Order: sequence, then structure tokens, then C-alpha cells
Amino acid sequence: MSRTVSTPQSTPESEAALLRRIAAKDRRAFEALYHAYYRRLFAYLFKTIRRPELSEEVLDDVMLAVWTGAAGFDGRSRPSTWIFGIAYHKALKALARQDRHKAETDEVDGEEPMTGEGPEGLLVRRETADVLERALRALSLEQRTVVELTYYHGFAYQEIANIMGCPVNTVKTRMFHARRRLKELLPGLGVSRAV
Amino acid sequence: MKQEDERLHQRVWELLPWYANGTLGDTERRTVEEHAARCERCRKELEACRQLGEAVQTAAVEAPTPHPARLARLMDRLDEADGSPLRARLRGLLTATPKPVRWVLAGQLAALLLLAAPLWTLLRTPPPAEFKTLSDPVTVAAGPQVRVVFADGATERQIRDVLLPIGGQLAGGPSPLGVYTVELPEGRDPLPVVLRHLRSRAEVSFAEPVR
Repeated sequence: MSRTVSTPQSTPESEAALLRRIAAKDRRAFEALYHAYYRRLFAYLFKTIRRPELSEEVLDDVMLAVWTGAAGFDGRSRPSTWIFGIAYHKALKALARQDRHKAETDEVDGEEPMTGEGPEGLLVRRETADVLERALRALSLEQRTVVELTYYHGFAYQEIANIMGCPVNTVKTRMFHARRRLKELLPGLGVSRAV
Repeated sequence: MKQEDERLHQRVWELLPWYANGTLGDTERRTVEEHAARCERCRKELEACRQLGEAVQTAAVEAPTPHPARLARLMDRLDEADGSPLRARLRGLLTATPKPVRWVLAGQLAALLLLAAPLWTLLRTPPPAEFKTLSDPVTVAAGPQVRVVFADGATERQIRDVLLPIGGQLAGGPSPLGVYTVELPEGRDPLPVVLRHLRSRAEVSFAEPVR
């Protein structure tokens, strides 16, 4: 399994250079970073928010925050860690807004169908993906986020702590519980339940 | 001693997901490798972590490509997001200026731009081009490496038989815990194929790519 956080054209160094240019209000650098991050951010936000339209709106908000806040990127972390930190907090806010809205309108908490409306060519569903998806849904948002950031986005545990704004031990504990729960739900995945 | 072992086991157990995704630092990676080489539970768990990782990657959403209209709308919002939109400020200044003064100002601005144009072209020197000549030395990338622990009692001949089909060569080891570094020829078999081969052999008890 390899890290998926960098596209072939995009490295932490080149991304840091883009952020410096964005801090100087370079719109072309912003466009380049947008293209470099769109798919990763969408994949992450959609998994968290589950509504394609809302995910895209939050993605726009994340990129606007990058535009206004690029000068605050101090280079102590990788650019992807910094950007995903923004995305994590924006996603939490969007979910909280959504919950409030649901409570106000008494909307039934039905999951948005995975296919159907939304950006073109959005999803390809597979049976195994369905099973895993259901299992991941059984985790808490924090546990799921740690699993996704680790296995899909290829972040180190220290980076995940940075993104989620929590101690590294919390990240490890969340993953520990996530693994145990996933083994209960997906016996095919877990080899041994004993630690 | 036993308790210490158990603590180490717990620590390694917690680190396995990040060993599987290749993000551990050197020290922790070595700790995991050395412990896993002699702990079957951790090796099995590592396999489970790897399977989960593969499943998560397979189940990934297929993200759409960004729509140009969406990006255009976002680009339009950049000035607004800055809080002090330049265009809005300019528009404000313009409407606050009496019409005759506006024309005078516009004329002066045009004259300034004309004067500054040659300076602009002078300042805009093209970035240095990257030249590569045919005589430049060609750097050959070293092939990928794999850490391997061979089963107890594996003979030199058996080890050779394991490495021959993948063109692997012993590049280092054994470490005190019996870990060998095997170098693979660049651009031959994909790493997952090599690892599958190694792990399928009874003479190999542990095989992990060096990251």
C-alpha cells in the first residue's frame, strides 16, 4: 500500500511553494493548488459529509480559507496536513449545521443515496465497498476519520493528531478501538481478535 | 522482563496501521520490524491492517473532476474572501470622484502605464531554462529493497532459490534478529508481486518493503 497524498506532479515542496505564492495573492498558484487537491479533498469530505453538493460547498470554503490564510502556513507541517486540518474542522462545522437544520425541520435522517444526482461520474459502487462502508459507518466520526486519514490519505499518526487537533495517543486509541470494532463487523478482515 | 515484552508488544500493536501505510519514522519502523520478526500475532495483525488498507482504497469514492464553472465561481469569490476587495475599493473610490477629475486621473494613469511599460519588460526576465546535455551523467535509480527474515534452518541454497526468480540480491544483514536486506533490480517485477512471491515461500517468515 502506498501513500496517496501526493499526486505525481505535486510534492510537499512544490505545494509549499504554491502556498507561498498564494500568500502573495497569486491566483494562478491558487488554481494549481485547487487542481492538485480537489479530488483528495472531495474524497475526504464526501466520506465525512456524504452529500455531494454540500461536500463541494465545503471544499470551496476550505480553498477560500487556504486563500485567506496561506500566510499563516508556517511550514512546520506538510502542506497536506495543514490543508486537511482546515478541511476536518470545516467538515465538522458543516455536519453540526446539518444536524441543527435536521432538528429544526424534523427531517428524517435518511442517508443520501450514493448514486443519483450529483457531479457526473461520481461513484462506482462495489459490493465489498458497500460492506466496508457499512462497517465504517458503525464507527464514531473520530474513529472513522483516523481510519480514512491513515489508509486512504496515507497520513502519519503525528500528522493526524495535527489535523484533528488532539494528542497522538488519542489518535492511536481511536485507531485501536476502530480496529477492534471493524474486526467484529468484518470477520473476514480480522485474523485475530486478541491483542 | 515478561512485562516489558508485553509493553513492547502493545506499543508495536498500536503502531501497525502506520507501519502498513509506510509513515513510521526509522526508529519506530525498526522497532516494529524487529518485534514482528519474532511475534506471530503482530505479523498476522499487520496482515489484517494491510487488508483493511486495501479495502479502504478499493472502497474509495471516485471523486469527480472539478468543473471549470465551479472553479470560476470560486475565483470570483477570492477578492471578497480577503475582506478588503480591491475591486470594491476601486469602485468606491471611482464613484466618490467627480466626473471631470476622473477623466484627468484616467489620462494620467494611462501616461504612467505607457512610461512604465519598457521597465516592465526589462524586469520580466524569463526564468532560467533547465539544460540537459547528452554528456550529462545518467543517474541510475537504485532498485527497491525488501527486508526479509528467513525461516530457521533455511540453507544458503534455499535462500538462493528464493531470490533467483525475483533477481534479488542480499545487500545487507543479517541483523542480530536475522533480518536481511534484499535489493531488487529496478523496473523488473512490481513490488507487490515480489512480496507475494516471498511470502508464499516456506523459507521466508517475514518480508516487508523498505520505505
